[in-house]
Amino acid sequence: MAGELEGSKCLSGLLSGLAQDAFHGHPGITEELLRSQLYPEVSPEEFRPFLAKMKGILKSIASADMDFNQLEAFLTAQTKKQGGITSDQAAVISKFWKSHKTKIRESLVNQSRWENELRGLSWRVDGRSQSRHSAQIQTPVAIIELEFGKHGQESEFLCLEFDEVKVNQILKKLSEVEENINTLMQPV
Amino acid sequence: MEGSGSREPVLDAKSELIDFQWKLGMAVSSDSCRSLKYPYVTVMLKVADHSGQVKNISFEMTVPQFQ
Repeated sequence: MAGELEGSKCLSGLLSGLAQDAFHGHPGITEELLRSQLYPEVSPEEFRPFLAKMKGILKSIASADMDFNQLEAFLTAQTKKQGGITSDQAAVISKFWKSHKTKIRESLVNQSRWENELRGLSWRVDGRSQSRHSAQIQTPVAIIELEFGKHGQESEFLCLEFDEVKVNQILKKLSEVEENINTLMQPV
Repeated sequence: MEGSGSREPVLDAKSELIDFQWKLGMAVSSDSCRSLKYPYVTVMLKVADHSGQVKNISFEMTVPQFQ
């Protein structure tokens, strides 16, 4: 039975299932589902601590957002521990993290966003004609629709109208933000 | 961003933008991830709807979304 668990064939599938449950919020991925699909020969009593161990390792790696050096050091330490993992398993975990790191990180970032987020922006420019006198003047007007909402909730919409002056004012503010972002992102 | 320019804005109930404020923040850590390290932009819009009622609307964007 232990041999089944030590094998690395199904571990990749197990890690995928764990990630779907812990990070991507996929419902219905139970311990029993994982066991019956991936390790049917293993008893539930043996499977439970194994699953807990793998879950703990994956969560540690994700929580620290480990780079590849940290990952190698961490996994090596796990292989040396009593009741730790095999080097085959370490290799599978390493490969899994390398290919899923970005997606998992994105899900973790989304889990900590509780305010409204901007979901979409549509725009149109109308040419308004004014003809108080005989001359017809085309005044361009920008109509912007913002779509926003909180994580998991339905969108709200806001429709705004801007003349050219206002558009330029907003663009100026956006440049200020961009400048500040560039300063913040400079390597220290 | 999804939906950019892909549909026409709905014409009803246009609001006027009175003020636009912004804040640049850095998420450092959370209970689900100890090492978040992502910058984000928070925008606060003060808008007046067609009846003159003023309200504040704020939303967050990650840097890629902002760009």
